[in-house]
Amino acid sequence: METNAFDKLLRERLEGAVEPAPDVWEGISKGLERRHRLVVFRRWSIAVTAAAAALAIALLVFRGPRTAGPVDAPVQTAQANPATQVEQPVVPEVAPVQSPAEVAPIQDQIRQFTQRQTVAVAQKPVVPATPAVEEQPVAETPAVVAETPAETPATVAPVQDKPADEPSGLLTQDDLPADYWDRQEREDTQADTHTSQISILSNLTTVSSEGGLLYQPGAMHASSQTGKGQATSQVEPLATSPKFFLPVSLGVQADFRITDRFSIGTGLTYSYLVSQYDMLVDKVLYEGAYNQLHYLGIPLRLSYHFVQTPHFGFYASAGAAAEKCISQRYVYGSNTLHEKVGGLQWSAGLGLGVEYWFVPRVGIYFDPSLVYFFDNSQPLSIRTQQPLQAKFEVGFRFKI
Amino acid sequence: MRETSTYTEADLISGCARGDRNAQRMLYERYASVMYPVCVRYLGREDAKDVLQEAFLTVFDKIGTYKGEGSFEGWMRKIFINASLMQLRKSDVLRRTDEISETPEAAGTVEHGVLEQISTKELLDLVAGLPAGLRSVFNLFAIEGYTHAEVGELLGITEQSSRSQLSRARSLLQKKIKELYNGNKRI
Repeated sequence: METNAFDKLLRERLEGAVEPAPDVWEGISKGLERRHRLVVFRRWSIAVTAAAAALAIALLVFRGPRTAGPVDAPVQTAQANPATQVEQPVVPEVAPVQSPAEVAPIQDQIRQFTQRQTVAVAQKPVVPATPAVEEQPVAETPAVVAETPAETPATVAPVQDKPADEPSGLLTQDDLPADYWDRQEREDTQADTHTSQISILSNLTTVSSEGGLLYQPGAMHASSQTGKGQATSQVEPLATSPKFFLPVSLGVQADFRITDRFSIGTGLTYSYLVSQYDMLVDKVLYEGAYNQLHYLGIPLRLSYHFVQTPHFGFYASAGAAAEKCISQRYVYGSNTLHEKVGGLQWSAGLGLGVEYWFVPRVGIYFDPSLVYFFDNSQPLSIRTQQPLQAKFEVGFRFKI
Repeated sequence: MRETSTYTEADLISGCARGDRNAQRMLYERYASVMYPVCVRYLGREDAKDVLQEAFLTVFDKIGTYKGEGSFEGWMRKIFINASLMQLRKSDVLRRTDEISETPEAAGTVEHGVLEQISTKELLDLVAGLPAGLRSVFNLFAIEGYTHAEVGELLGITEQSSRSQLSRARSLLQKKIKELYNGNKRI
């Protein structure tokens, strides 16, 4: 028989169907289930992070108008009142208030003053009031000031003897010390900024990806290491065509004010990294195997708050983190393999941040930063391949 | 649920692309018996089962990339052949076989009618019993229809090596077929 005829006949005979063992589908089914779970987890992580980012942006863009509180009102009135401006030269003669105890009586009067001013503005009885102020000779002003409780407790008595609703006996805006509102604002801010904060955070780390969620370097220089010295199986990643999925982190962090401007923060973070590459397991090649890494980390960072308002804060921070790989899992075909990873992953970073307090004790924040992951013999991942990364952290903050 | 046979190939492909487990199961049932012999020819029964699983997972993963150019079975077959060759490469058997210089004694031609007396299963086992390199060259050239240049590229060997290995594979296979035929006759 000619070789061509032999080949043709053999080909025809070999085309016959042969059924594989019945348990093959079970293995395929398990493999599909595992891949499905991985995809679902990845989608949820991305969705949660995107929702948090969208919420943060929405609150920043669509926040409602800030309503003026009772403490703010007199300040605005004073700025709008020309009479006050005329009489301001008198104020330097007032002795500065020395202690909160001394300020307390005057605050009571300010509240009454504020209420009166608010009512007065609402009912427009301003016209008779203003000439009264204007008619007062400048020379008399020290006498009025002399009656304020800021001078001495003794001068408070005549004021208190007067009926509470008698306008002429109450403090006016110009009776206040020149730096009163500055002091008040400073004290308010300090009361706010000296509060400790708890943050619930999530972050995404960028990779220099060309294809969306995947980082696929064009050329690799070396196969990377597996967990240093603690491998229980002969696993060797082949860095021929690795793909790295976006790392996702979640965590809780507490910030403590150490001065007006500086705070120090620490907490606990969890990071999940997924890579896909070919690898040899006990010298058997598996294409497109998955490597899943779970890290727990403790960050430490120092922040400098250069802008602080009741609603907004801007700050710069520098810090470091130590992360321990608590689980490493390889998924190849229908098999899985767990491997211990020794050592710690150290990183250092610099960043800027913005926080927005939409209610007095609850806020959101956004921290873009640059993080460098040091070479600490950790398993092949985006961190070993691209040590310098941009990180975008978003989260909620609670003042405690 | 419809019978498997009432689903068209396009139905199954689109179902698998959506991740529909029923469609995946039906696709498996339709093609497993066709693709399994492909793997056996390259690897033998023992490894063929594992590669069959791996390759089906790859098919379900990549099925969205099938654009309808060429037959779907041909597209699948390439995946199974590649998976089988990958399995051979990882154990380094291809290079070891390339080093075999021994040429089997000429077995003479196989008479007409001899192949008909041997079952498909027996023939598969005969092919699978060839040394890995010879088996791969024979499968790629004689069964799949690749040229020697393509075989050389796929296996990382020269064209000349492909030709000589094919010749050795044919001789060895014919010898084994004769032995099997004679053995069957005695029985």
